[in-house]
Amino acid sequence: MEDMIFYDRLQFAFTITFHYIFPQLTMGLSLIIVYFKGRYLINKVEKYNNIAKFLMKIFAINFTMGVITGIPMEFQFGTNWAKFSELTGSIIGQTLAMEGMFSFFLESSFLALFIFGEKLMGQKLHFLTGFLVFLGSWGSGWFILATNAWMQHPVGYEILDNGKFVLENFSALFSNPWLLPAFLHNQFASVVTSSFVVASIGAFYILRNKNLEYGKLLLKVGVVFGLVSSILLAFPTGDWNAKNVAKYQPASFAAMEGIFETEEAGAEIVLIGQPNMVEKKLDNKIAVPNVLSFLTYQKWDKQIPGMDKFEKEDLPDNIPALYYSYHIMVGLGTIFIGVMMLAGFFLWRRKLFNMQPLLWVIMFLVPFPYIANITGWYVAELGRQPYLVYGLLRTTEGISPTVSSGNTLFTLLGFVAIYLLLGLLFLILVGKTIHQGPNPQTH
Amino acid sequence: MTITLIPLISIVFGIIGSNLSGYILKKYTLGIIGNTIAGVFGSVFLIKSFGRLGFDPKAIVQSGNVHIGLLILNLFVSFIGGAIAVVLIHKLKKNINH
Repeated sequence: MEDMIFYDRLQFAFTITFHYIFPQLTMGLSLIIVYFKGRYLINKVEKYNNIAKFLMKIFAINFTMGVITGIPMEFQFGTNWAKFSELTGSIIGQTLAMEGMFSFFLESSFLALFIFGEKLMGQKLHFLTGFLVFLGSWGSGWFILATNAWMQHPVGYEILDNGKFVLENFSALFSNPWLLPAFLHNQFASVVTSSFVVASIGAFYILRNKNLEYGKLLLKVGVVFGLVSSILLAFPTGDWNAKNVAKYQPASFAAMEGIFETEEAGAEIVLIGQPNMVEKKLDNKIAVPNVLSFLTYQKWDKQIPGMDKFEKEDLPDNIPALYYSYHIMVGLGTIFIGVMMLAGFFLWRRKLFNMQPLLWVIMFLVPFPYIANITGWYVAELGRQPYLVYGLLRTTEGISPTVSSGNTLFTLLGFVAIYLLLGLLFLILVGKTIHQGPNPQTH
Repeated sequence: MTITLIPLISIVFGIIGSNLSGYILKKYTLGIIGNTIAGVFGSVFLIKSFGRLGFDPKAIVQSGNVHIGLLILNLFVSFIGGAIAVVLIHKLKKNINH
């Protein structure tokens, strides 16, 4: 049984991690595309339109990869997690269906119109299609987050005698206190990723002395969007999310912050340390006293319950992974703010385009927002353990008892092979698009 | 479960079909990027349409065994879906921009 749970979780973790490489870019990029198209509508300078169309090509490649890698997720609900789907389907089925019916179709239909219909529709309608692609991609995020928010903090439900969850209050799904902060945090995180991608393409063109005019514009817009979104990611959205975890999932909060023992007067914030699960303490830690209490409750001496206050079976089952994911996410977020502030300063001083070392840093930082986004999701998902629906349905109760671990492992190996192929194809296509650049003759 | 792998393998066949179609029918090619995207959606569209007739992944692995005949049919339909999509999208694009 433990084997089955392990492989089911590993397969889901692998497929969702690979899948989330793509939507995190499309959601943020759609906003930047709307910005460029809007600028073109206002000032009629052709380069803004060319960049909007160039970025939409990158969007389309990512969107397609997102569609391909999203299909196995849908199947896994019915195969590996059939019991979970059977028990909660009447609730999560609603938000997932709305994601497909409203957002996905909106996004895909208008994406095709944006790519092919510029001459037919004229510029105002072309802008509108770009805006509807943005609306569709953010709508997708909203419905997926509504599903996840219900799993993190279930509301508006009733449990029948046969154990099935049914929806008692539809609007509660969308007024869930978990939803808005999680959505905003997720969306700003995707804007950070997109900003770094846009800025790094700009830095690449400048360093290669190619498409210079476009490179400078991409870098400038990437830095401005990156700076604003990195700050908003930390405060207020990150802060708001952390407070929600402290309020609704205190055991997860203690685990992600590495609080093994409850401190009498005020909890310290741990900057560095390694969880020692045998002695139930952090090794080699560097911590600042009372700061966590202040950040969470605005009181220096407010007590925060440590892991010693909870039963073992209610604590997340992989505390080191949760703790490291959280600290990697926060650490990277802090680095992003620092780099973007520095880049913003030199942009303001009109020196950024000649600062080669900083351009190299911006270019090579691209993978890190992806890592931060994915570790952020690990925090949410590992923190919710050992439950699928927090406090109500344990992960062990949600798997399909008839799917053997050997079967799941075989499929997982198949996914690894196919995703390797798709990953290579993705890199080739994106590389080719960037190589072609935003010049009009390449569209 | 194996069922989850079949749609992915189908899509890969759709991508191969669309790129091959673009390579052979040069006047319809959308470029490697366009062909690949067309292949994904063409294969998904045709497989979903044929799925209604019983060629869906569930039918292929019914009762725990892979039905080789249906699997080959599924991959063939995907391949054709990708190939047709390139031609159709090219014509659609031409008409829209005419």
